[in-house]
Amino acid sequence: MNQKQQIILDLNEIFTDIIDEGEIMLNPETTANDIDGWDSLNHIQILAAIEKKYTFKFTLTEIQNLKNIDDLTNIIVQKTSA
Amino acid sequence: MMESFIDYTLAYIKEQNPIHYKKALKNIKELKKDDFFERATTFLDKYDQLLENNGKTRKYAIDCYLKLLADYTHEGLIFRETGKYSSTSFDEVNKRVYANPEIMQYYMHGLLVSQFLWKHHYVLLKYYIENLAHYVTAKSYLEIGGGHGLYVNEALNAFSEDTTFDVVDISESSINMAKHFVNNEKVNFIHTDVFDFHPKNKYDFITMGEVLEHVEDPVKLLLKVKDLLKPSGTLFLTTPTNAPAIDHLYLFRNYPDILAVLQKAGFCIENEIKVYAEDVSEEMAEEFKITMMFGGFLIKKL
Repeated sequence: MNQKQQIILDLNEIFTDIIDEGEIMLNPETTANDIDGWDSLNHIQILAAIEKKYTFKFTLTEIQNLKNIDDLTNIIVQKTSA
Repeated sequence: MMESFIDYTLAYIKEQNPIHYKKALKNIKELKKDDFFERATTFLDKYDQLLENNGKTRKYAIDCYLKLLADYTHEGLIFRETGKYSSTSFDEVNKRVYANPEIMQYYMHGLLVSQFLWKHHYVLLKYYIENLAHYVTAKSYLEIGGGHGLYVNEALNAFSEDTTFDVVDISESSINMAKHFVNNEKVNFIHTDVFDFHPKNKYDFITMGEVLEHVEDPVKLLLKVKDLLKPSGTLFLTTPTNAPAIDHLYLFRNYPDILAVLQKAGFCIENEIKVYAEDVSEEMAEEFKITMMFGGFLIKKL
């Protein structure tokens, strides 16, 4: 399993835990259109959980450009390998 | 026929920010059911025209709004972790925001778009308009921190012909935008810090929407407002709890925090409204520190 695949598995756990609407299967192309409970209220909790797990802080630009799981994964790869 | 501003906005947000789209769609659905929708449409038509007159597009306005949302999310993350707003001094915010035309431009347009996409914003505006009818005898109106000019625009419609209108704002960018939006010579716009504002006469009615959280010492500001108000005058005030933003300084954690400040400054509430930014239970709102908007018509305590 490569690093990105592992991150998606971790994200899957975070999303399932916060959204609490049954099993979630994320893939790089997943957007909020694919997951009912991924709304603005849960979004901030998801970002906070990611910041805590990977011990980094999102920048404003990163938050602004987030569109799908691939964007999120790329930020995590970049931040944790810096 | 041209697509309505609201429908265009929803379609654009769906494409650009599907996370926020859900909330925007829900709020707009509720707004469309409300008799207030007609007024919202009139307002947005006016705004649409303002954008066109200034050589700006709808896309520009909604991008400003989406940038504002990202800002709020960023500040929200800091707030969750520290329990505090990130800005600490008025001078710092003044330099970074109010005196910075580039930031103020996107801020003002973003806030204007939010006026009808956020339930707590349009419910407050509706409440203001509906209650202004009780104060139509006011002969002098002052607005502190007029922002985009929406509230003074409504006051112009409600009060009588011979009422005088003054708007004080610390940001020149705000004043320019409000001047264009209101487009009425009856309104006297004054670019100054309210603490440096010393008019000859006191006012019958003062509006101060979402200003209190922008200062370090809200009691000091309210005492200044109290001094500007006639003994029998009314202050319409709005302020949020738990609302992290780049230019917010004073944190009201809950409704009792707001009451304590009002009381300390010698105001009592004649009529009030409280609206949460999300449709959640009181318990959940408290747990997740959801923004609550307070609005009230206040009078001086005897």
